[in-house]
This record gives sequence, C-alpha cells and structure tokens, in this order.
Amino acid sequence: MDAKRLEISRLFNRFAFGPRPGEFAEALKIGPADFKKSILNPPAIDIGAPKEPVFADLGPRPAPKSADSAQFSQDLRAQSKELTLWWLDQMVLTQKPLQERMVWFWHGHWATSIGKVNYPLPMLKQNQTFRKFALGNFNDFSKAMLLDGALQVWLDGNENTLKAPNENLAREIMELFVLGVNRYTEKDVKELARALTGYQVPRSTGVVILNPKRRDTGAVTILGKTAVMSGPEAINHLVNQADCPRFLAERIWYRFISSTESLPKDHPMINALAGRDIQQGLTVLLNANDLTNSNYSIVKSPVEWFVAVSKALELTPSKLSSFAKLYGYFDKLAQIPFSPPNVGGWPTDEAWLSSASAQFRIVFADWLVKQADLSALEAIAPDKRVAYLADLLAVPEWTPRTTVALSALQKIPARLLSLAICSPEYVVSQ
Amino acid sequence: MNEIPTMSAEQLGMSKYTRRQFLKFSGAATAATAASVLSINDVAEAAITRPLPMGTPILVVVTLYGGNDGLNTVIPYKDPAYYAARPDLTYKEETLLPLTDGLALNPAMTGIKSLWDEKKVAIVRGVGYPEPDRSHFSSMAIWQTGSPKTHLSTGWLGRWLDTQKIDPMTSISLGSVLPPLLVGAKNSGSALPLGGLVIPSGVFAKACDQLSQPSRADNKLMAAAALSMRNLFSISGNITPVLSQAAPMSDDLPTVGGGNAGGDSNLSQQLNVVGKLIAAGAPTKVWSVSLGGFDTHANEANAQAALLGTVSTSITKFLSQMKASGRSKDITVLVYSEFGRRVKGNGSEGTDHGTAGPVFLIGDRVNGGFFGDQPSLTKLIDGDLPVTTDFRDIYSTVLEDVLLTPAEKVLGKWSGRVKAIKKV
Repeated sequence: MDAKRLEISRLFNRFAFGPRPGEFAEALKIGPADFKKSILNPPAIDIGAPKEPVFADLGPRPAPKSADSAQFSQDLRAQSKELTLWWLDQMVLTQKPLQERMVWFWHGHWATSIGKVNYPLPMLKQNQTFRKFALGNFNDFSKAMLLDGALQVWLDGNENTLKAPNENLAREIMELFVLGVNRYTEKDVKELARALTGYQVPRSTGVVILNPKRRDTGAVTILGKTAVMSGPEAINHLVNQADCPRFLAERIWYRFISSTESLPKDHPMINALAGRDIQQGLTVLLNANDLTNSNYSIVKSPVEWFVAVSKALELTPSKLSSFAKLYGYFDKLAQIPFSPPNVGGWPTDEAWLSSASAQFRIVFADWLVKQADLSALEAIAPDKRVAYLADLLAVPEWTPRTTVALSALQKIPARLLSLAICSPEYVVSQ
Repeated sequence: MNEIPTMSAEQLGMSKYTRRQFLKFSGAATAATAASVLSINDVAEAAITRPLPMGTPILVVVTLYGGNDGLNTVIPYKDPAYYAARPDLTYKEETLLPLTDGLALNPAMTGIKSLWDEKKVAIVRGVGYPEPDRSHFSSMAIWQTGSPKTHLSTGWLGRWLDTQKIDPMTSISLGSVLPPLLVGAKNSGSALPLGGLVIPSGVFAKACDQLSQPSRADNKLMAAAALSMRNLFSISGNITPVLSQAAPMSDDLPTVGGGNAGGDSNLSQQLNVVGKLIAAGAPTKVWSVSLGGFDTHANEANAQAALLGTVSTSITKFLSQMKASGRSKDITVLVYSEFGRRVKGNGSEGTDHGTAGPVFLIGDRVNGGFFGDQPSLTKLIDGDLPVTTDFRDIYSTVLEDVLLTPAEKVLGKWSGRVKAIKKV
C-alpha cells in the first residue's frame, strides 16, 4: 500500500473527521509533513462554525400532569434537538477539525449522559468546556471539569456531603478521568470523596456552588500526601502524579491508534504530555511513526462515520430532511451524541460491526446519499468514478474485492456512493 | 442465609472484582459475540431441521437495566411508612392492583395481575445479596455472574451452558450485544440482532454481496466488517414463513431519563420474535431479553409506570401467543433488575440506587403466590431495604426445577431454595 496515502488517510479519518471534496488530493500534493502542520495550526478564527445555541434556564420540572408540564417537556425536547444538531453541524462545518475531533474524544472521556442530566443547558456548557480545553492544559481542564454542572449531576456530586460522602465522582476521577485503574487505593478514593464534598448544583442551570455547611474541612491523605485540600487542590495533586500523562497517552492511543494493541511503554507521547499540554502530546503523536504502521487499524464509530460522510457529500446535519429519522439511525447504531452508554464512554471496533449495524448503515447511507448533490460525481466518466471515490472518501486503497463490487455500479452514481461508504475500506480506518 | 459457595477461588478463576473489570468484561463479551452472531434464518433453519422436543423446559430471562424500583412495583400500600417515605412518588390506592398481604401491583401491570389471578406468577420478595453494591456495573455484574463476593468472568447461565453440549442455538440473547450472563468458559450464548429488516434487492444487493466477500487484502477489522454484511445478506429475500409477520420496529417507549446502564428499548419486539422462534421449534432452552431505562432518579412515577406497563403487556402477550404452540406449559419467565431503589424519595420525585427488590417468575410451571419475606420499611439498613432472600436461592431453584441441572455445578454448594416451581 502507498505509505503516503495511508498516512494522509489516517490523518483525515482519525484526526479530522474526514476530508471535504478536493482536500485529500490537496493534502497528497503538499505531503504529510505540511498537512500535519496545517491540522495542528488551523486558522485562529473558525469561520465555518455555526452559531452557538443560547438556551433559557427551564427551571425545575413542573409537577407531572400540571398545567406547565407539557410546555416544559416540549421546551426540553426542542433544546435537546437544537443542541444535537448544532454539535453535529459544528463537527461537519468547522475549520478546526482536530479541535472538534478532540471535543468528541473528551465527550467519550468525561462521558456524561443527558439521560440522567436531563437538561440540555448544562450539557451545552460542558461541550463548550470541552472545546475551550480540547487542546489545552489538562490541569486547568480537570479543574474546570470539577466545577462542571453536568458531570457533578451525572456522578452524584450533589449527594457527596460531610455527613454522607458519596464516592461516585471521586472514583471515576481516579479511575476513568485522571489516573487509570489500579493507580490508587480504595482508601484514596474515600479520601478524595471527602475533599470533593460540598458542591451543589441546580440541575437546570448546571452552575456549581460550594456549600460550606456540607463540606468536610478535615485533613485528607491522598496518594501519600496529607493536608486540608480544597476540591481544586485535590485535583491539582492528582494531575501532578506521574501516572497522569501516561494515562492520558494511553487513552489517546486507545481512541486514535489502536484499541487492541497497547501503547508502547516508552512512547514519546508520554513525555510530550509532561507539561499536561494536550496539543504537545498530539503533535508528537502525529509525528511518531504509528500512522504508517499497518497494524493499527480502527473502526469509525457511527457518529464519526456520519460526520465524515456529511463532509464528503457536503451535507449539513441541521438541513437534513428529518431530525427524527437522523436520531433514529443513531439510536439503532447505538451511538447518540450526548448519550454515552455509561461513564466508561463508547465501545470500540468490533462492537460497531454486528450484522444489525451493517443493515442500519446501509439504510442510513441510502438516506444520506438521496439528499446529496451528486453532480460532481456524475460529471466524471463512469470508469474513473471508483478511483475518484477513493480520494473523495480518503480511502488509501480499494481491495480487488471492493473494486469489482463498485465497478459493477459505476453507472449508477447514487448506488455506487452508498456502497462505497458501506465498504469495509471506509467503515474501517485501515 | 448462606455465605459464599465453597468452591475455591482457583477453581472458579476468581480475583477481586472491580468495576473496570466489568467494563472490560462487557467488552470481552462483545468481542466474543462477533464470532457467534446468528441470523433469524439460522435459528429458523435449526427449528425446522432439529426442533426442540416438546415438553423440554424453556427459560426466558428478562433483565431490567437501571435498577427497577421494587417498592413501586409490588407496593406495600397498607403500610403508612410507605407513604411517609416517598410522598411524591406514591400512587392513589384506588388505581393499584391489589394482591394479598397488603401488597398491590403497580397500576400499569394489569396483564401480570391477570396471570397472578390464574396462579401463574410467583413474586419473590426482598431479593438481593450480602453487602449490596449500589453501582450499576458492579451490581449487574454480581447478578449476572451469580457471584457477590468475587469477580467471575463467566455468567451463571454461561456456566450452565458449559454443562451442555456445544451448540450456538442452546441459548440466545436478543439484540446485538451478548450480556455477560450468557458467557461461559467454553460455551457461550449467541446474539440475535433485531431490527426492521430492509434488505436491499436487485443489482444493489448483488453488489453488496460482492462487497461482503472475504478479501486477502482485508485486515482483521475489515474482514469483520465484510463478515457482518455477509451475515446480513445470508437472510436476504427468504426469511422463513414463521417470521413473515415479524413485528414492525417498535418504539415501545417514550425517551425517559433511563440513565446509564444499558438494556434495549424494544422488549415487545424481542419477545414477539422469541415467541415466533419458540413456536417454530427453535432448539433453544434459554432466551435473554432486556429493557433499559429503570434508573429513575427523577420523575419516577410516570416513567416507571410506562416501563412496567411495557414489561407486563409484552410478557402477557408473549405467553398468550405461546398457548397455540403447545409450548406454553414448558415456559418459565424470570424477571429481575440489578437492584431496587432507596426507600425514601429524593428531591426530584425519583429515587436513588438501593438494594433489595422483587423477582418475578411467571408461567404455567410456577407455583403462584409470594415467596420470601417482605422487607420491613421501618428496619432499614442505611436507608435501604434489608435483603430477605438471596438471589442464589432463586437461581438454584431455576437451575434444578426449570433447567434440570444440579445447581452445584453452576453456583457451588448453596442450600437455599424457593419452592416457586412445580416439580416435573
């Protein structure tokens, strides 16, 4: 396989949600080194970005069956729809694809579901925090997340008090967010829970406040250090552990390079994250030689697949014919933005490859292709279309099997396109 | 109540259980599924070529993900402490479906109430395990592995499968992901994905078929992608007549604040397909279906009633559908959830994670009535119901009296039983 095509294909598909028409050929022309620079240094102002929603605080939920109850549910649904479409538009339209790809990564990292949070407003705020720190400093980021209303609600921060400490948030911070499993003791979890007591958050606004009456102000011992620690001080202490950059490198590796092969123990990304600067870590990862190693394939998750298809076909999610249908496809493919299945985030690879999902992907593909303008594809001579699609979709190379299958449809552009985006070469980033 | 089984840790391959292990474990189950995904056609073909002998007992396990609130399922409506603990969450007495012992079913469970009146419902009260864990992951892992104290990498029905001859048809889970419940050491259940089958036809189908062929240029994941499409097309065009009336894709439920613990949303469709495959003679002894959304931290009353209504209607419809097949006397349905909920309501008309809850056994072979003691509402442990029946009592009974397998092979030595199943 052409190493240059493979590397550029991976850069697009894993770090940039796929190319728009023409971008793959352009990147091939400037070469991987310059293309990496352009991914890492996007324009300062994101002219493509859609306008961020502004949500009213819907207040506490009215009593069931009360006069206001129906209106409230309607408002909740309307905000929820706007939130989802805005983010999908943002993924497709942004001129800062690496940043947005990292927002998607952090959404799976600090995995919080609207299913429990209920209100779109705190989910929007969380999403904005992800974007602010997407490539920033992980220490500042973690402190911001401690005060994130959606995360606090999701992990029962409201219930973590001096009288009755609740370990949910503390455990996940150690296990899933900052350090990784087995890098702390059960005692550390309990002590961290004490240091994080006293936060309260009204669900509808997601604005976290500290209630001194609920706060445990005693000294705690966390990972060998004994002191009276505020919440942010405790987070600072965790992020400063040597295990933190290793853990971050492991998580980035798992989502961008391989979920089956482990991060090499001495991978340079670990050192690059020593300053907890996420951009530094990614810069080193992009320039390491993993992107040309053919062992590291990875499956596009349904949302990643959808965004890449939308970019290639120049579709805007909010302008698709039916939000209900779109949502239904995500539901059937088991990946609804803002609704990860659990605090561990989305599954990977084979989990997306059941025959059930193959079936829904075909129907979804058909629905999307029907709404696309195919004139560019139609303008190309039929016998050139299969090769054209490899560039349009950033596929490094069609297998002979797929070339035969696609060639049989080369005179039916819509069918050809549907088949190409359901092909193993496209569903998997090789 | 007994303590832990007497098998040694080495024998059972145990290690101390952590939540992370469960996450990984679930992942492992997913990966295993890739090798054992069935199509409806596979099952239908097996039903025709080697049907399950009539009279063979069949177990249908219904998992309610999220932690079903037992106190609003089997409601102690005569107990003033119930109303005092959760004033926002109680139902009006006249809407309840009264049983005996001062207990009533949730107003939405009319179907199950009729079956109760026919003595086909056993309700085991206060079911749980020692030192209850309030994490969805941990507690569901404990229920599914059948092992409260130590982490096992196999499910209790997976270990039962290990006692059976290897056959992917013996146990089937509806949906695309195999639950840990059906993962054995050498034998695992199969996954049967559902959905509105819209299979392409004509020239596109031919191209899809070509696309799904193995290629030497495929890496492992591309080969898996091709295989998933190939499996799909193997059922193209000729879904067997038994399934010609498969239910439409159903959206049983409004989207409710169901939380974060998995489960499917189309229980009635799952049971409809199970019913048709049983009627057709599928050689399957254990079926697993699920419903998610029970994590009712807020606005519980409406959400839970909608969910319980779905459970009740789907099971009732399923059993009545089975009457014509001559197999209804063979079928036992087991309904459970990973934990009950806190006795006291929380500030948002919901309840938080709790402990004990009722388990339902339903079918012709069931001795109708209550089993186990109703947990006291006044002698709570940290605000939670005391466990009065260990779930292993029920598992042992189901293993012996439904699946006709010595419980010790699956659970180690365990002496508790509930006499909820008629002996064959």
